[in-house]
Amino acid sequence: MSLNCEDQELLEGFLTETTELLEKVDDDLLILEKTPGDMELLNRIFRSVHTVKGAASFLEFELLVKVTHKSEDVLNRLRKGELAFDNKIMDVILEAIDLVKLLVDDIKKDNIVERPLDGTLARLESVLADKHEESPAPIAEQTPDTQIPSSSESENEAPSPTETPDAKIEIQQKVEQESVAAGQQSSANKDAQDKSTLRVDVKRVDDLMNQVGELVLERNRMSHLNNDCLGRTNIDAFADEFGKLVKRISFITSELQMQVLKMRLVPVGTVFRKFPRIVRNLARDLGKQVDLKIFGEETELDRSVVDEIGDPLIHLVRNALDHALESAEDRLAAGKPRVGCITLSAKHEGNNIIISIKDDGRGLDPEKISAKALEKGVVTAEQLAQMSQKEIFDLIFLPGFSTKEKVSDLSGRGVGMDVVKTNVRKLNGIIDIKSEMGTGSEIILRLPLTLAIIQSLMVEIEGETYSIPLSAVIETLRVRQDEFCSVGGREVLRLRKTALPLMRLQQRFDIRGAESDREFLYVVVVGIAEKRLGLVVTRLLGQQEVAIKSLGNYLADVPGIAGSTILGDGKVALIVDPAKLIDGGEVEMYRHASSF
Amino acid sequence: MNTAAATSNSVEMKEERIQLVSFKIGNEEHGINVLKVREIIRMSNITRVPNTAGYIEGVINLRGKVIPIISLRMKFNLPEAENDSRTRIIVMDMDNELMGFIVDSVAEVIRIALSEIQPPPPIVTGGIDQECISGVINHDDRLLVLLNLEKMFSLEERQTFADII
Repeated sequence: MSLNCEDQELLEGFLTETTELLEKVDDDLLILEKTPGDMELLNRIFRSVHTVKGAASFLEFELLVKVTHKSEDVLNRLRKGELAFDNKIMDVILEAIDLVKLLVDDIKKDNIVERPLDGTLARLESVLADKHEESPAPIAEQTPDTQIPSSSESENEAPSPTETPDAKIEIQQKVEQESVAAGQQSSANKDAQDKSTLRVDVKRVDDLMNQVGELVLERNRMSHLNNDCLGRTNIDAFADEFGKLVKRISFITSELQMQVLKMRLVPVGTVFRKFPRIVRNLARDLGKQVDLKIFGEETELDRSVVDEIGDPLIHLVRNALDHALESAEDRLAAGKPRVGCITLSAKHEGNNIIISIKDDGRGLDPEKISAKALEKGVVTAEQLAQMSQKEIFDLIFLPGFSTKEKVSDLSGRGVGMDVVKTNVRKLNGIIDIKSEMGTGSEIILRLPLTLAIIQSLMVEIEGETYSIPLSAVIETLRVRQDEFCSVGGREVLRLRKTALPLMRLQQRFDIRGAESDREFLYVVVVGIAEKRLGLVVTRLLGQQEVAIKSLGNYLADVPGIAGSTILGDGKVALIVDPAKLIDGGEVEMYRHASSF
Repeated sequence: MNTAAATSNSVEMKEERIQLVSFKIGNEEHGINVLKVREIIRMSNITRVPNTAGYIEGVINLRGKVIPIISLRMKFNLPEAENDSRTRIIVMDMDNELMGFIVDSVAEVIRIALSEIQPPPPIVTGGIDQECISGVINHDDRLLVLLNLEKMFSLEERQTFADII
């Protein structure tokens, strides 16, 4: 439907406001479930739904009005105390809110279709009609509001045993489920579309304005200096003034840089907020009892990181619920509390953000993993024998790996963990697993705060300048070339009782030069987790903060190169990718060289 | 009446002109659609990128953007030559990505009518893929080979610019 300009504005305002309200309602409903007596909360939810209804009515969105109207009625009864709160009513309300979200999404996509409202409306009606004891149990329970985007057909196979199956209702459930599942998917897609806008604290924008004001003043001084210098020949005075100017502009630029980066920061809570709902639904589906604890939601990270980290986190949490947490009986038998605990936390550490997903489930079983790896042929028995427990845990990140016997709809297809690792790598992050059998596991993601600017070590290799991200550099050494040894055909350096595998960057990057003639060379030891590699360079130039510039689509996959940067003299310098170089298998022999 | 209008339309279409930037590589003269050309700059410092195809000279800094530079000489399998004061880099917009092409010299911008474009003869030059030749033009007694540089890099080739040697 074509709208004129004002209407378009109204519509956009409606969509933004409603989306926000609905997100808040979602959160509030889950809190309400835990604290049903909280009248303040109930009132707030009621008011939000009422607002949405009002706006929808004003803009004449019929379907939306119908659903919100009924929902508002139920909420009204609840807050007046005419209805008592219980799980079943909660389910119906959640279902209704999902439907509302779906309808709003349709409006956003300008694709208003006739959605099957009757099921939900009927259930809302029946809640209104009966007191809570008589509310139709089978219907309420058999609408699992799954958040799984993939088809939830298989979910139908697990109805709760107390049901009296009614063919007509079941068919309706299928339709409802699909529309709800579709709704979840479209709201997931909607999140993806919302990438283009950003909410920024007004104070940050003001700070930025102030800095820009300072910059304008410095620019004026610079012009002034330029004009003055044209007339005079007093180099000393000029140099002095110029020096001061450079200092001030450097400072202001750094400040500006910090502030713009800060604007891109979003609290990780925006991702974390999805989880209570996901965990609740999943727990109900799996018949497990779970308590989700969230810490550090206010920790901020770059918007692009937030966008990318959502899916991997969801997968990891699903994994924890599905694989790691035992059923209630198993837990009691093991002496654990009945209710499983998953802790999702985020915190800053230096220039990184550490996100951790911890569970008190059964832990990873190295035996099982080894067996599976052997079976799949991804490792040989000898390799396994040499692996540390940590390395065995790392095997689960290999594609196609899954120790689950039955592939459920949720997980077990074995595509998840390696995708998670890839996504984390794409963000220049690392992922680690800690686990203890019987006690639980913890998955730790370490991500850099900013993607665009890094501290780097500038090096020179036979005349060409390269940049090595400082975050990967462990130490640097100046060595004589004759100290290099050879083990199994590879060059190594003896470093404090271990053998450090070496990689001559001159060879790797095909640079012309007479490196082998030099007496002294520098070795930059880089490391990712426990792996080490020594990069051989000609000279160290110093430490510098550089802005990463992408090489563009055409050169994106050059092996060993992560990107480029522009130096002070305008030339382009390439940024080395230590992780790729290390993973290139050069570190294999680190294990084998035991003692020197 | 109608036929007159129709014929004048088709005459107009034939008379539709496009503008080409003509440049030389070795002895050959080529032309590309000026609308695709962003700018023409002098040679600047090219930073080599390791492990890429031979014809990729490297990257340069174009006012804060890092763009890849291709040597058309190498791509066309012509013998290497020294850069001189006339060597230029033609920066083109290829599917929203900027790319620079090194040419020996840039001559002029010429206007030609679409009708002047003749289909490419079967064998024009050994080095260039037939696909990127969209035609030849006889202009001022010179033969200009019309290039469509976008076709030069097929999608897979573009995606695998990085050779693993």
